Formats: sequence, C-alpha cells, structure tokens
Amino acid sequence: MAKKPKTNRFSITNEKFYNFIKLTIAILLGLALAFVVLCFVSKDPVNAFVTILTGPLKKPRYMGVVIEKFVPFLFSGLCCCLLFKCGFFNLGGEGIFIASGLLMSVFACNEQLAIAGVHPAICILVAAVSGGLLMLIPAFFKAKYGANELVLSLMLNSAYLGLGTYIIKYHFLTTTTSLIASPDYQPTARIGFLSGQFFQDYHISITFFLGILATFLVWFVLYRTKLGYQIRLVGTNPKFADYAGINSFSLAMKTNFIAGALCGIGSAIQLLTQFNYFNWTGVNSPGIGFSGALMAMIGQSNPIGTFFASFFIKYLEQGTTVLYYSDTSVPSEIVAIIEGVIVLLVSSTYFLRRLREKKLLKEGLQSEYRNDREAK
Amino acid sequence: MAETILKLDKVTKVYGNGTVANRDINIEFKKGEIHSIVGENGAGKSTLMKIIFGIEAPSSGVVTYKGEEVHFASSMDAIEAGIGMVHQHFMLIPSYSVVDNIILGMEPKNGIFINTKQAVKVCQELSDKYNFEVDVTQKVAELSVGKRQKVEILKTLYRNAELIILDEPTSVLTPQETEQLFEQLKSFTEQGKTIIFISHKLEEVKQISNRITVMRNGVSKGTYNNEDLTMAQLTNLIVGRDVETDYEVYKKHPDFNKEYALKVENLTLKHASRNILDNVSFGVRKGEILGIAGVEGNGQIDLVKCITGLQEVEYSGKIEINGVDTTGMNVRQRRNSGMAYIPEDRMNDGIAGDLPISDNMIATYYDREDVNGKITMNLKAIDKISDELIEQFSVKTGSNKTKINALSGGNIQKVVVAREYNTHSNLMIAEQPTHGIDIGSAEFVHHQLIEMANNGAGILLVSADLNEVMNLSDHIIVMFDGKIAGYFDKAKEVSDQELGLYMLGVKHQTEEEIRGAL
Repeated sequence: MAKKPKTNRFSITNEKFYNFIKLTIAILLGLALAFVVLCFVSKDPVNAFVTILTGPLKKPRYMGVVIEKFVPFLFSGLCCCLLFKCGFFNLGGEGIFIASGLLMSVFACNEQLAIAGVHPAICILVAAVSGGLLMLIPAFFKAKYGANELVLSLMLNSAYLGLGTYIIKYHFLTTTTSLIASPDYQPTARIGFLSGQFFQDYHISITFFLGILATFLVWFVLYRTKLGYQIRLVGTNPKFADYAGINSFSLAMKTNFIAGALCGIGSAIQLLTQFNYFNWTGVNSPGIGFSGALMAMIGQSNPIGTFFASFFIKYLEQGTTVLYYSDTSVPSEIVAIIEGVIVLLVSSTYFLRRLREKKLLKEGLQSEYRNDREAK
Repeated sequence: MAETILKLDKVTKVYGNGTVANRDINIEFKKGEIHSIVGENGAGKSTLMKIIFGIEAPSSGVVTYKGEEVHFASSMDAIEAGIGMVHQHFMLIPSYSVVDNIILGMEPKNGIFINTKQAVKVCQELSDKYNFEVDVTQKVAELSVGKRQKVEILKTLYRNAELIILDEPTSVLTPQETEQLFEQLKSFTEQGKTIIFISHKLEEVKQISNRITVMRNGVSKGTYNNEDLTMAQLTNLIVGRDVETDYEVYKKHPDFNKEYALKVENLTLKHASRNILDNVSFGVRKGEILGIAGVEGNGQIDLVKCITGLQEVEYSGKIEINGVDTTGMNVRQRRNSGMAYIPEDRMNDGIAGDLPISDNMIATYYDREDVNGKITMNLKAIDKISDELIEQFSVKTGSNKTKINALSGGNIQKVVVAREYNTHSNLMIAEQPTHGIDIGSAEFVHHQLIEMANNGAGILLVSADLNEVMNLSDHIIVMFDGKIAGYFDKAKEVSDQELGLYMLGVKHQTEEEIRGAL
C-alpha cells in the first residue's frame, strides 16, 4: 500500500475519540439533569450543586471517606470488567460480597489467627479463594449447559443472602448488642491507615495501593497476556474462538475464578477497613456487587476507565453527604440519577450516532472523490 | 416506449462505518422489462435492492415508484406497493408447508380462523398458472433448492407483486434449473410484470435481459440495451480490465509421492435418524486441489465441520490429517496436526469484528512461540507479522490497529486467508473462499490457493460456485444428499452440464468409480 489514508485523531469518526466525547456528554447531561432535580427540591440549587461537585475537597477527612469507600467499589467494578470482556453477564458479585464476606468474618473473629500483619492477609486470601469458587457455579452451568448466567447468578445472590442471615442468626450471633450481626472482629484483623499525617488524613491504607495494583494487573492481563487475548477473543465472538480452537470452557472457568476472587477481595477490604463486624442488610452496603456492573459499563469495560468511574461516583456520593450537613432537603439518591443517566447514554448505541454518521458520510464521499481524482 | 415504473434519482447510501455503498445512482426501470443489474460482489447491487425494497433507507436521493415519490419505512410498505423480492438466501420456514409459507402474513380469513381450503386453492392455482409444478401441501423442508426458490417467487406473486427483484437467483441452481427459471421469468414479463435481475454471471445476464445497468464501486456505469453490448464490453465495464479464468498455467503439480494431507474413510453422520453424511470416503494429496461441488445443503457444511472438529454431533468413520488419526481430537489438536481452515461464514466464524486486524491476524496460532514472550504476548512480533501479511496479501487498510469490521468483504477475506496461510499447514480447507467478494480479491485468493498447493499443501476446496471448482481443482467430487455422487479424476475433462446432472442427483456413479476418490 502506497499511501495511508489520513485520519484525524480528534474527529468524531475516530472510534476512541467518539467514545470519549460520548462519555463526556453523558456525564454533562447527567449533571445537568441532577441540577434540574435540585431546582425542584432545594431552596438554593446553585449552592447545592456546587457543594455536590466540590464538597469532598473541603476537608481531607471528606476526601478520606471517598478513598476508603472507593477501594472495595473498585474491586467490584474490576470483577465485572473482566467478566464483560469475556462475554459473561454474571452478576454474582453481590452474592460473593455477602458469602465471602461472611466466611471471611469467621476467620477475622478467630483468636488463634490473631497475629498482627498476617491476620488480614489470611482473611483476604480466604475471601478471594471462596469468591473465585462461588463465581464458578453460574459460570459452569453457562459454559457447560448454556444456562443463562444472569438468572442463575441473581438467584444465587438471594440464596446467599438468606443463607447468610440464617447462619448469623443461629450460629454466629454477636452477644454484645441486639443487632443481627457477627461478633466483633479481632483487632489484629482490622486494616488500619498507614502511619503518617497525610495517610491518616486521607484514610489511605495499604488497600488503596492494592486497588491500584489490581487495576494495573487486570489491564495487564487483558491487553498483554495470552490469557487476556483469549478472553477478548471469546468475548468479542465466541464462534470465532471455537473456530480458532480456543477451549472456551476452561477459559470461562479461569476468568470467572479471577473475577470472583476480585470480588471476594473487595468484600474483605470493605469489611476490614470500614466495619468491625458483619451485618449485611443493616450497616454494610448491599448493592455494591451490582454497582460494580455499572462502573464497568461507565468505564466501557476498561479497567482504567472503571477505576476512574468508581472514583467519580464515590466522589459524587460524598458530595451529597457533605451537602446533607447543610441542606437536608436533598436526598442522597440524587447520585443515582446521575449514575443512571450516564450508564443509559454510554451504553446506548444510538446516542450521538446520527452525528457521527453524518460526519462519516461527508468524509466517505470526500475520500471517494479524492480517489477518483487520483485515479484520473 | 414503455412507461417507467420505478425511478431512482441520485440515490446515495452510506453505512454507519463510513462505507459508501451507493453514490448518485440514477436508473429508470420500464414496465414489462427484464432489467439486469450487474457488477462485482461489493459493487453495491444488493444495497441498491435493499433500498428499493425498503430494507434500507437511502442517505440521500429520491425513489419514485409509479410516478410518486416513495419513502418505504420497511419492506412491508414495499410489498404493499407491489414490489416483491426473492432473496439470495431464502426466507422460508422449512417445517411449514408451501401454502403456510406463501400465505404467512396475508392469510385468507374465515372469521378468526385461517381459511385453509381457500389458501390451498389459491396457491395451487397460482402454481399451475405459471407451470411451477409445486405441490403446495408439501413441507418446504422436503423440497429441493430449485423448488424452494419457486416457492419464494410464488410468495411474491401471491402478494400481487408487479415488480419482482431476484437477487442472485441462479447461484444455487444447477444449469438445468436455471433454464427453467428463465422461461418463467419471460412469461412474467409477457403479463406486464417487471423483473429486476441481479447477477454476476454474465452469460445469464446476456441471455435474458432487455436492458443492463452496470455497477462498479457503488457507482452506476450506465444503462445499456442488451443488444448494444458485446460480452467483452460488458466485462470491461464491470471490472475495468480483462479477467483471466485459466489457472492451469500457474500450477506446478509438485510430486509428494501421493502422500495424503487428508484422508476421510467411511464417514457417516446421523442426525435425527437421517444420514446427513453417508459413508463418505476420499483423500486429498499433498500438492493437489480437490474440489467438492454440489448444490448447497447436500452435506458439504457438515463434512467440513467433521474434518475441522467443529461438529457437535458424533460421527463414525475415520479422518486422518497429515497421517494423524483425529478421532476424539478437538479443533486445537487438529490444527496442531497441520490443518488450516478458511470458513464459509467469515463474518461470524472467521473474524472477531470488534478487534483490530493485528489481533485477528494471529487468532489461529496465538499460542505459537513466535508471537509469545515469557509472560506477555510479543506485541512487537505480532505487529511485524501483521504488517508483513497486510503487505503480502495487499490488504487495504491504514494500519494494523484498524478494527477489522471497517474493512470491505474482500479485504476481510484476505486477512482470513493470510492468517490461515501463515499457519504453514499442509492441509488447507477452503470453504466458499471467494463467496461474496469482489473479482479482484477473488482472483487474488485463487492465486494464493494455487501457490499453497505448489508449495506442497493439500487443498480441499468446497464451493457452490461451479466455475470456481472447475477452474481451480485437479480432481472433483460431486456431493448429493450426503453421498459422493461422482468422482472425476481429471477436472478439466468434465463439462458443467455433466456436473449439473450429478448435482441434481439425476446421475450417479457406481461404487467402483467413486472409490477412485480415495
């Protein structure tokens, strides 16, 4: 080929730039809609809006809450990111947050394991392995028998919640309070902030770096290794993967195990950094496993995108919390509106497509005419 | 001069990925004529027909039907207006009877029930009127391909179509069935119906058309009266140059002591107590091209699936690839025994559309040493291999990072062929390797296959395109109803008429003769 056709990186016809524009506009529209809602519920909508956007920056402690809550959220997002890339719509993350979290709690309460430094590591390992194994259940039935992994994983989520509540109520109940919760964890199991004023202020523990490491590793596996290549191939076109001779069953098992392990780690981190006992429906946050799917969608199934999406949403949530201190008329669900609009628009195939097609039409015709001229 | 029934004025269609399928097309269709649209695959014929039939909306331009500007929102609108289309791939429900298929969507009612008696009567009358010789109470699944096409045509007639579009109608027919179809088309025009005939087979176009519109690269190269064009002029208009079909001079016929690249023995495949493949035995020797001809649906697809390991149903018999018995082997193991495979359905089986060309280039040997480092894949090597293959197979693209979806069909096929070539396998299974791609790319693919054979690969060519099989093959097998109906040791010594008789199941060779295939 003699000449390479010129493509402008900052044109909407460029796939990556198009996705970027789409995301930006989706975020702006989400925020705009939130503002409209604020106008109805708040006496001072402008101030409320500004507070949501800048509130967490006011005090290090506020930002600290963002960072603390964001890490387990990120793990849940990475789990879904990996699954989506492999073509699995497995929402078992929620159940794993419950089941692995509960199992981990048993270890966290165990006195014999109470060795400083080692205890949290054991807990995280237990959660990771159990999470990986649990994720294999829906994956197995999908890969082997073609069962719908979405339905199966959702059903299992309910089962884990019921089972978990039963276990706590009758076999693992705290004696110190009237809550339906596990006993308190051993102090050695808890993960504290790193020493140093800065880390203390911003609530940064070792888990924050684990999150960054995990994001990098997921990215690395997906885009640099043979395993990731197979995952992307199967996720893009499973029939083609069959044709190319990829064993999609064993691949599905591997991928789901890793994804489940990520969720398990997320659950352990959440419990060991933010809580002192296991009480899923009351204090620990239900829905985190599902939110992971939304983060992966906003992040367009890219681990790094998921990283920023998770941070962004947790930041906004904290913004509303800060707002709540001064203006109680704004419900915290406002973030859900923003989140919903963004997910809707980003995952919509039609959003902005008309614009792009018009541009393509123009460019297509131009290059046609150019070719014609060159031919002459 | 007959009145104009359909007029296209400056019709342009651009697809979402930026492909300009049609540009400024102006054509007038006269009432009662057979108007052929010819052009290479990918010249924009099918898109144009989809616009006329309301499946696609034009990006710009005006469609005028019977003097009125029309904007069909769907094919339902077009059907109501009196336009019918017979698609290249039939739109029939095999488990329904002919009548059910014909009346579907426009059932004669008796209260809330379908008036079956009335339906059968109307359909049979219609069939008899045009000498279609179809028993309308039969199930479509029991009909031959030629008969199924008649059912498709009956469907349009039942809906009172005045303008009938036939998209590559002869591609699945034997020479004999084609003759019959043409007789019927002529009788339609005598009754004032207009036929739009899409084809890339020029002999047929010359034989049947009143007028011919030539398309190239999405642009109309003009409409001509049939008698004003010679065959040579027509070819030149379509391709822009002369096309060669005699490949014999390129073949080297290397001698590998008649070693088998592929040996199939007594292969039988049963599904739902029917023999899809019945005791099939043949061999492909290294350095040779064995062509399998046959009307689509006579077991060729299943045969290839059995060989490649993609068959999910258990088969009996023995398949050896390069001397290795493949019983119980999966796709990967078979590929590792030296098998490459160009699949028929390249969009669904042959590529991962949303991934870049480079990822697609290595998909069938992604675990080979030269594309892998210790931990990571060797991205530099992948880049280099992709660029070299893009160059060598003249794939038209800006970079190897372009999503393969954005390429034209011909270029996608070149990527597929390049990838399979780069497995350096001794057995190449080429299934409809040039189906639906432009003549230039098709020629290129043919040369590559011959080159591979010259370098010692055994090639199994499965194609519904009789010309392709005859031009490329050293030996030919004809399949009919899951069996080998005939084996021709010297491909050059058999005529297409003769092959047609075997394809239709009229003629059958003896066991003795067929055994020559192994």
